[in-house]
Amino acid sequence: MTTVTAIDDRSHLSTALDQMAELSARSIRNSLRNPSGYIPGLVFPLMLAAVYSAQFQRALGLPGFPEVDSFLDFILPASILQSVAFGATAAGADMALDIENGFFDRLLTSPVSRASILVGRLVGSAVEAALKFVVLLAIFLLFGASVKSGLPGVVVLMVVSLLLAIAIGGISLVLALRTGSQEAVNASFPLVFSTLFISSAFFPTELMNGWYQKVAEYNPVSWIINPVRRLVIEGWSWTDAATAIGLTATLGALTITWATFALRSRLRSL
Amino acid sequence: MSRPVEATGLVKRFGDLTAVDGVDLHVDEGEIFAFLGPNGAGKSTTVRMLVTLLQPTAGSARVAGFDVVREAGAVRRAIGVALQDAAIDPMMTGNELLQLQAVLHGLPRSVVRRRGPELLERVGLTAAADRRVGTYSGGMRRRLDLALSLIHEPSVLFLDEPTTGLDPTSRQSLWEEVRRLNDDGTTVFLTTQYLEEADQLAGRLAIIDDGAIVREGAPATLKEAVGSPTLRVDVPAGQREVAHQVLLRFGPNRPCREGRVAVGLDGGAAQMAEVVRALDEASVRVDHLELDAPSLDDVFAEATGRRLEGATE
Amino acid sequence: MTALAVGPTHGALVVRSLAMRGMQRILRRPSIILPTIIMPVFFLVAFTGSFSGITNIEGYGTDNVYNWMTPYAILQGVTFAGVGAAGMTGEDMEGGFYDRLLLTPGSRLPLMLGPIGYAMLRALIPITLVLVTAIVLGGADLNGGVLGVIVLYLGALGTAAGFACLGLVAIYTLKSMRALLAIQVPIFALTFLSIGQVPLEFQTGWLRQVSESNPVTPILEMLRQGFLGAVTWDQTWPGIVAVGVLILVFGLPAWFQLRRMAP
Repeated sequence: MTTVTAIDDRSHLSTALDQMAELSARSIRNSLRNPSGYIPGLVFPLMLAAVYSAQFQRALGLPGFPEVDSFLDFILPASILQSVAFGATAAGADMALDIENGFFDRLLTSPVSRASILVGRLVGSAVEAALKFVVLLAIFLLFGASVKSGLPGVVVLMVVSLLLAIAIGGISLVLALRTGSQEAVNASFPLVFSTLFISSAFFPTELMNGWYQKVAEYNPVSWIINPVRRLVIEGWSWTDAATAIGLTATLGALTITWATFALRSRLRSL
Repeated sequence: MSRPVEATGLVKRFGDLTAVDGVDLHVDEGEIFAFLGPNGAGKSTTVRMLVTLLQPTAGSARVAGFDVVREAGAVRRAIGVALQDAAIDPMMTGNELLQLQAVLHGLPRSVVRRRGPELLERVGLTAAADRRVGTYSGGMRRRLDLALSLIHEPSVLFLDEPTTGLDPTSRQSLWEEVRRLNDDGTTVFLTTQYLEEADQLAGRLAIIDDGAIVREGAPATLKEAVGSPTLRVDVPAGQREVAHQVLLRFGPNRPCREGRVAVGLDGGAAQMAEVVRALDEASVRVDHLELDAPSLDDVFAEATGRRLEGATE
Repeated sequence: MTALAVGPTHGALVVRSLAMRGMQRILRRPSIILPTIIMPVFFLVAFTGSFSGITNIEGYGTDNVYNWMTPYAILQGVTFAGVGAAGMTGEDMEGGFYDRLLLTPGSRLPLMLGPIGYAMLRALIPITLVLVTAIVLGGADLNGGVLGVIVLYLGALGTAAGFACLGLVAIYTLKSMRALLAIQVPIFALTFLSIGQVPLEFQTGWLRQVSESNPVTPILEMLRQGFLGAVTWDQTWPGIVAVGVLILVFGLPAWFQLRRMAP
């Protein structure tokens, strides 16, 4: 009897893992099949970086601007995180599409584990983020950017990218589960962009003033960008690495929890 | 004096697809002419060429005496058009659309003030005139579309599937309006996929199938040309072949829906007793039997080998 | 048949009706104008806020960043207005209503000028809103006086017409709203690769070369002069020429596409 139960449990676990793998594969496949989804997310941050590097070079000499070799180095973390954040909203948009066209209900009527519905999406976001990270970093390095803290810094940057993708993906899943509308999820896009813009992402907060400076300083995006940027332009620091990873991990944990609640309340309302 | 509509060898190709393949037709002054055919037969494409919205690949057409390509402006001035689906801006009210339509046709303000309410009254939309079109029912939209196409008192009216998707009551009221317009002297060219519509309204009709006209004439003449009435017989599945053999002795095969056997009865109703005897001798059990005078559907079936009835509704 | 007046007066009436139809649509469904309002104002706030530090760089030309960024935000608003107006034609085509318009006797020109007129009327909203925000929030200077403001409005309206032509050529070609997605990239390039945020002297390499030959650069110079100082003919005529270039480069192909559709 005991043996049978044990086998049964194991098979439960492996089914759940299979389901997660299958759903993750589905969301990755869908993203890859739709270049209009990820191309703008790659091109737009690159354009921004290219133009800003070409027009803000003189700003490097301003008092208050951090010591940096080139504007490209300065903007590198912001560009990567921007691309990752934009891409991650696709998790919610895709799920909203599933809800709109009824596939979501089909998933729910199947014995698939509830967790794998969320995990599948988030793994998809993370994989897309990892791919973008590699592509963008390669392009930046090709154009002469450098990461002062070397390989450990690159690893931290990558981990932060993945965690951010999960965190933003989580928020977009909440939106999708709450509204069930792709349009509503897409409408959050300008919000993501403005949150990113009103921060230290593209220019140092030291050079801003008034209420705008306050908002930018209190913006969590700045708290994440600043330590990551120091790793890129200054060098290795355990504190900066721990801060960046700790913050994004916390953010990710919060949004996943929130998404879980959103899924539960959606299931209850069915 | 040239005819209101006259087309010779009209062809329209979209890439490899030939939508209209050499259509010749004419419409006489004061006539209601119906263009009957299934979806995708080339009705709308032909109409769009006649009303100057599409350039023919080959052939020519004159509408209201003007060439549709070289004198498109003059054609547009002379015709009224209500296109498929009554595509009208849902954000505007009926009144506003009438005013816009008047401006588009260069009518003086005084004319709109006089004719606007008159037309709305005529199509029964006076009460809804200041409501947005988005709130209209399908029938109301069609009627407004009709009013819009009449504001400049056109001499030829084109209606592309005016009642597709309408309920029977709305269809009836639109038919009445078309008849009244025709009584007042307007020449009407309408396309339809409904046999009844063509039968009810048209003085003359053309059947189009696969881009080409297959029959043309007055409904009565066309039906007569089919000649014999159609005999339809329901028999048990196992006896269908036997029954068919027996019936073919009395006339040619006619297409019909699955599970039935049909022939044109050459000898007419007088032959019925003979048919029943023959079936009985062959030990065929007849479940149901009907004899119909030739219909437009028979005309269509005879011309194309397919039935229109039931295929579109 | 009723006597028909189809001529220049008729054309003007058609243009007016179509332009007003657009404005009326905004009143009935205000949500369509929201991006045109929110985005330029956001750009104004974000660009001035994030980059206010650049005024401290030697040679920036003004110590109030609003003087520099306001015309840029207005330019953004005007592109939205132009493209949005073309969008009405796209909606008409998708819905089928455009057939009614094409059945209008007389020249096709009013059918194209109508949406252009709508774009210009619609552009008045972001121009005014951004200008007022800049004055109230950022104390933007109107050093060029009334003339500066007039040049700003006229120049921006002309630019709106130019971008409406860009929207229309795309719509006439693809005959669907998707066309507007396709022109996002050229619009982004035209506005972004210019002297929108920093003067030409600050720009290096490829960007400087592109900005120098971008017609939007002289347009921004023309719009901006009234904030920085007095209005001069030298800063005005290149802008006028550039607006003309935009209108011709996009307007002519649009016109040919429209004529091809139903001559």
